[in-house]
Amino acid sequence: MDFLEVIKSIFTLSLAYATVRICISIVFAGMGEMITERSGVFNMGVEGIMLMGAFTAAVVAHFTGSPWIGLLAAAVVGVLIGLIFAFVAITVKANQAIAGLAIYLLCVGLSGYLLQVLFAHGGNSPKVETLPKIHFGFMEHIPVIKDVFNDQSVLMFPALLLPIILYIVFYKTPWGTWLRAAGENPKALAVVGKNPITIRYIAVLAGSFFAGIGGAYLSISQTSIFSEKMVNGRGFIALAAVIFGNVKPAGVFAACMFFGFMDALQFTLQTVIPDQYFPREVFMALPYILTLLILGGFIKRSSGPADISNPYEKESR
Amino acid sequence: MGKTRKYLEKNQAAFTSILAVLLAFIVVGVLLFSTGRNPIEAFGYFMSGAFGNTYNIANTVSRVIPLLIAAIAFIIGAKCSVFNVGIEGQLLLGALTSAVIGFGLDLPPVAHLPLMLLTGALAGGLYALIPAWLKVYRKVNEILSTIMLNYPAFFFTHYIVLNVTPLEGVIPATPFIKESARFINLFPGTRLHAGIFVTLLVVLFAYFLLQKTSLGYEMRAVGLNKEAARFHGIPVEKRMMLAFFMSGCLAGLAGAVEVAGVHYRYLDQFSPGYGYDSITVAMVGLLNPIGAIFSATLFGALKTGILDMAVFTAIPRQLVTLINGIVVLFVAAKSMIQNGFLRVVKGKQSDAPEKETA
Repeated sequence: MDFLEVIKSIFTLSLAYATVRICISIVFAGMGEMITERSGVFNMGVEGIMLMGAFTAAVVAHFTGSPWIGLLAAAVVGVLIGLIFAFVAITVKANQAIAGLAIYLLCVGLSGYLLQVLFAHGGNSPKVETLPKIHFGFMEHIPVIKDVFNDQSVLMFPALLLPIILYIVFYKTPWGTWLRAAGENPKALAVVGKNPITIRYIAVLAGSFFAGIGGAYLSISQTSIFSEKMVNGRGFIALAAVIFGNVKPAGVFAACMFFGFMDALQFTLQTVIPDQYFPREVFMALPYILTLLILGGFIKRSSGPADISNPYEKESR
Repeated sequence: MGKTRKYLEKNQAAFTSILAVLLAFIVVGVLLFSTGRNPIEAFGYFMSGAFGNTYNIANTVSRVIPLLIAAIAFIIGAKCSVFNVGIEGQLLLGALTSAVIGFGLDLPPVAHLPLMLLTGALAGGLYALIPAWLKVYRKVNEILSTIMLNYPAFFFTHYIVLNVTPLEGVIPATPFIKESARFINLFPGTRLHAGIFVTLLVVLFAYFLLQKTSLGYEMRAVGLNKEAARFHGIPVEKRMMLAFFMSGCLAGLAGAVEVAGVHYRYLDQFSPGYGYDSITVAMVGLLNPIGAIFSATLFGALKTGILDMAVFTAIPRQLVTLINGIVVLFVAAKSMIQNGFLRVVKGKQSDAPEKETA
């Protein structure tokens, strides 16, 4: 095959469409984790919360027939799990990474267990109704845009708006100042009469809320089924995106898009390049290896909040 | 009464750990009950499945072997402030490498089995050097990097088994290893094999290393306070690299022992998450090699007991992961349990006067 032909068959508009489609769940999880980390808490349980979100959305959509109720339930379950994490990490002051790991294991076990209890056999839920895709008549005539953004999930709009909203909240409102202060210098925040613990709680719950939605997107929009390992590291990739994007809305959004692109590329390469020329496992491992290279600082980044991962202690006398 | 109280206070860490496990079982019992299962009946099947007869006991012990070696791997890292969550991936690579040595070479048993275990360990150790380097010299959180590295290890072993090593039959696996590379089976009809002695050696090695050598002392010093250790002239970076390498080696060894003693080949996806379970085992064992023996026995029993339970009571085996998660959560929140425990042990005394007497 001609080299140029191959390149052309890889970098198509459908690759761009797939990038947007795939990155939506990572954007939700990444934006949520960014809020959490800004407040000084590192929630490694995002992967697990996404998994429970995906599970809850599919199950509730199956039993009520409405994916919208499924979406709502996923967000609620996300917040509830976030509450457990927040209690252990903030109130009990446990090691945040280990608490996150516990939440991850707990969610993997719980979703797997309940899946078997509810649907008896197999690692999948039944097929469920999905959230609508949005089709704009006016877009039909705009080249490129119509191929990339038309007929995407309804959740694409909040996903694209979220970074902008969070930018405004972070830098133009008092809430943003308090949030950032909780992560940079909680003691100074306490001096001005705001309780860093309350703010960290809210930040963790907000992060878990979005992680739940990001997970729900996978089972009731990107696909129409829940399967046991469906999140497949996206939560961890969202964590990497937050680090890569310097815990700032624009940076994290760009990082999420990048990881979405890598994943889409991986799928495309699998179909374009025959297996005997190049093993598909290499492409499947690619997003993780790239993430590590990025984390390793082979691509420049600066540091996050100063007080990240430290439990807040009141000033001792 | 005073004596028991003192005893309980002195061993509060161990009791906290036991309480964490008990609490987890209560939570799981409630969950079973609320999803329409009978927790008492389930517990009965679980106990008989794990300890009901000599065969089941032997099988339980055989499950303890990989769990205990992998838990020691986690402990050696954690004692030196290195949290190796990549044991699963290192274990897979160790198992595959050892299987290749096992079927690819023809050697006398004296050399074949040790060489196989050694190469398996080395494969795991070398793979662990990647997150080690990233942590020490690039400040990358090792929990994140090691979780990430489990994925490439999984894809790599999967690819090798399917495409590189010769396939015999329909199961994705390497060919069987030579007789000379196998552990003797100690109890025909079960999976119990002579690898148990290697496991005991590993426990002793870890105990002596950490408690009786100056190297172990330095590693623990790094784990307790990096800055103070540096101030005392301990090469912190080198010790952390070494701890990570040793941790990876033991993870690889755990995989190699499974190949040499249970499967006699590398079976794709053979590990039911030993790497993740080992973290729970290590934490419940208070990051103590001797403590890990007890917790590994508990979780080994969980692994075998759950099989009978799943067959007889329609309780899904995913319950194991769930129990792990809840236990880790309670262990992570141990300061809360500990406070509650001390309050009960010491009666109604408040904390303030305590500090004055201490």
